[in-house]
Parts: sequence; C-alpha cells; structure tokens
Amino acid sequence: MKRDINSNGYIFLYATILVVVVAALLTAAALWLQPYQQINREKEKRVMILSAAGVNEDGNIELIDGDLPVYLVNGSIPVLPMQGNGLWGPIWGYLAIAADGKTVAGVTFDHKSETPGLGGEITTEKFQHQFAGKQVMDHGDVIPVEFDAITGATKTSNGVKEMIDNTLEKYSAYLKKFAEKGE
Amino acid sequence: MSNWKKLLIEPLRKTNPVMVLVLGICSCLAVTAKLKPALVMGASVTVVTAFSNLIISLLRKGIPSRIRIIVQLVVVSTLVILVDQFLKAFAYDVSKQLSVYVGLIITNCIIMGRLEAYALSHGPGESFLDGLGNGLGYSLILIIVAFFRELFGSGTLLGYQVIPQSLYEAGYQNNGLMILPPMALIVIGIIIWINNSKTESK
Repeated sequence: MKRDINSNGYIFLYATILVVVVAALLTAAALWLQPYQQINREKEKRVMILSAAGVNEDGNIELIDGDLPVYLVNGSIPVLPMQGNGLWGPIWGYLAIAADGKTVAGVTFDHKSETPGLGGEITTEKFQHQFAGKQVMDHGDVIPVEFDAITGATKTSNGVKEMIDNTLEKYSAYLKKFAEKGE
Repeated sequence: MSNWKKLLIEPLRKTNPVMVLVLGICSCLAVTAKLKPALVMGASVTVVTAFSNLIISLLRKGIPSRIRIIVQLVVVSTLVILVDQFLKAFAYDVSKQLSVYVGLIITNCIIMGRLEAYALSHGPGESFLDGLGNGLGYSLILIIVAFFRELFGSGTLLGYQVIPQSLYEAGYQNNGLMILPPMALIVIGIIIWINNSKTESK
C-alpha cells in the first residue's frame, strides 16, 4: 500500500504523530531534569540571601513568615526579599538590614533578561557594593535610597530604585519595630 | 574522507554562514558582549544545527512538502527546549547569562537555512557534518567578535581582568561603545571586509 505523501489525510496523520511524540519527549525531559533545576534555584537563592547579609556560605537561614516573609540569617540579620521590574523583564533581590536597624548591610540583585553589560550590571559586585551603609530609616521613618545609576541602563536603574523603595515601604512597620529594638 | 573534511572545513571560512552568507547576524549582536555566553551560545547552536540536520535528513522522505517548514520548526524548537532545560539543570549560571537568547536559537536563520538547503536533499551522515560545520563556523565568528568586544569593552576575557590596573591609572578607559550592539555590527563588518579582501576572486 503506497500512500500519497501530500494527501490531506497523510498530512494530518503526520502532524498528529509528530506533535504527540515531541510532547512526550519534552515532558519526559522536563520531569527528569526538574529536580536538578530545583536544586540549582534553591542554591542560588541561598547564595543571594547570604551574600546580601555578608555572611559566608555556611550561614544559617531561617524564614520568618509573618504578614511578610523575612529571612533571618544567623538568627540576627534580617534579609528582605525584593521584586520589581527592569527594562525587559522581572528583577529581584535581597536587602539585608544592619544591626542598628537604620542602614543597609548589603544587597544582591538578579534579573531575568536585562541587557548584558548594561542593565545586567546590577548583578555585579561593583554595583551592589555601593548600597552597604546607605541609610533607610530617619527619625523612625522609612526614607528612599539614593545610589549611582548605571549609564546606559536608565530603565533598569529606575526599576532597581522603585523595587527598593517599594520594599522598604512595604516593610516599614517591621523596620520601625526592628529599629526601635536596635536603639 | 575528503568529502567529510570538506563538509566540516568549508563552512569555517569559504561558505561561512556569518561572513559569507550573512546569516544569524541577530544573535551575533546579542550575545557577544562577553566571551563566555558567546562560547555557550556557539556550542548550543552547533548542537542544534547538527542534530536538527540529522533528524530532518532522516525524516526527509516522509515529510509532506506542504508542511515541511512547520515540521522543521517543531524539530528545531524541541531541540532548543531540550538544550535550554539541560543548561538550566547542569550549567545554571551560563543559562542565566544567555537567558532569552537560547530560546531565540529557534529563529536563527542558519538552522532553517541548512535544513532547507541541505538536510532535505542529503543523507543523514552528510547532513550531520554539514550542520556541525556550519555551527562551528558560526561559533568561530561569535568568538572572534566577543573576544574584541569583551577585551576593549570591559577589559576582561572570560571575566578575568586582562588589561592591567596600571593602564587605567595612566588614563586608559574601557570603550563603552564596544558593549553596545552597534559595535558588534561594525566588528562583523570589519571581519567580512578582511575576509573578502583575502578571498577576492581575480
């Protein structure tokens, strides 16, 4: 029995089989690789939190889940998760508060799809370094953070600023309480 | 044997997909600001071109010609998703640097070009080598461009500082233009120029 390779029936059959085979293949690959990817993501998150807090990699992270999640590193340094928007996609990061409750201990940022060399520079040590010691509380109130933006990456820099300010605003109650304790 | 060599070597220079056919320029601009993503992108594209050529060549007698482009796209995108998943599982930091560009391999003109021009009319072994050769030719240009862009744009190679601190103190500055996409186009233009001037047929 010889089929006509260009008949409609054959085309439908061919397309259907192809798609089913491909779907099965991709599902199998996704299920097989998922645990490895999950480990990578967890590891990355851990490194980001610890490096924001300025603690080496065997630090201890504890998740305090009140109204808003706070990561407590080594039982003393609170680290706040941040989410925002860059130019091309989401950006996120972690902000550690110093023991005095008024200044930043350190930050880490990451992004989904900012331009390498421009917006992508927010992940570099050079950019993140400047945040340490910035004041975030003044007379019991949260104040916006000021920092040097990246030349050529205005949108991403604005996104970072918005993200930090929003996070501080959101956590202002927690920060006030923490600052009072610190005094 | 010589035929095998020809399939592998010719796309490096004589029929280079970027230099001579001027295909795949879009990703050349996007991933060449640093050397490391360029290397991984080159490797990923090479894997995808080689295997999509192989698969399409194996299927070529059964593919209905009216939906052949769709079949090619399905095969290519499946391979790209697999590469992306593998990178996420085993080379996480690199996959993050490449981010969206891995997905964009699907639209890389070199891959579709080789499938249409070669794999549909040649045997699996030859097609595989042709894909491999073209992928390597693409990688070669990617690496050359990324080398110059990272060296002059960031003063580093593969992330290591190459230009000494003393030079910066003497007033040297990284060229910010090198990091921006237009400079990739200019570098590719210069490469094509040099190549053409050397291979000019008399």
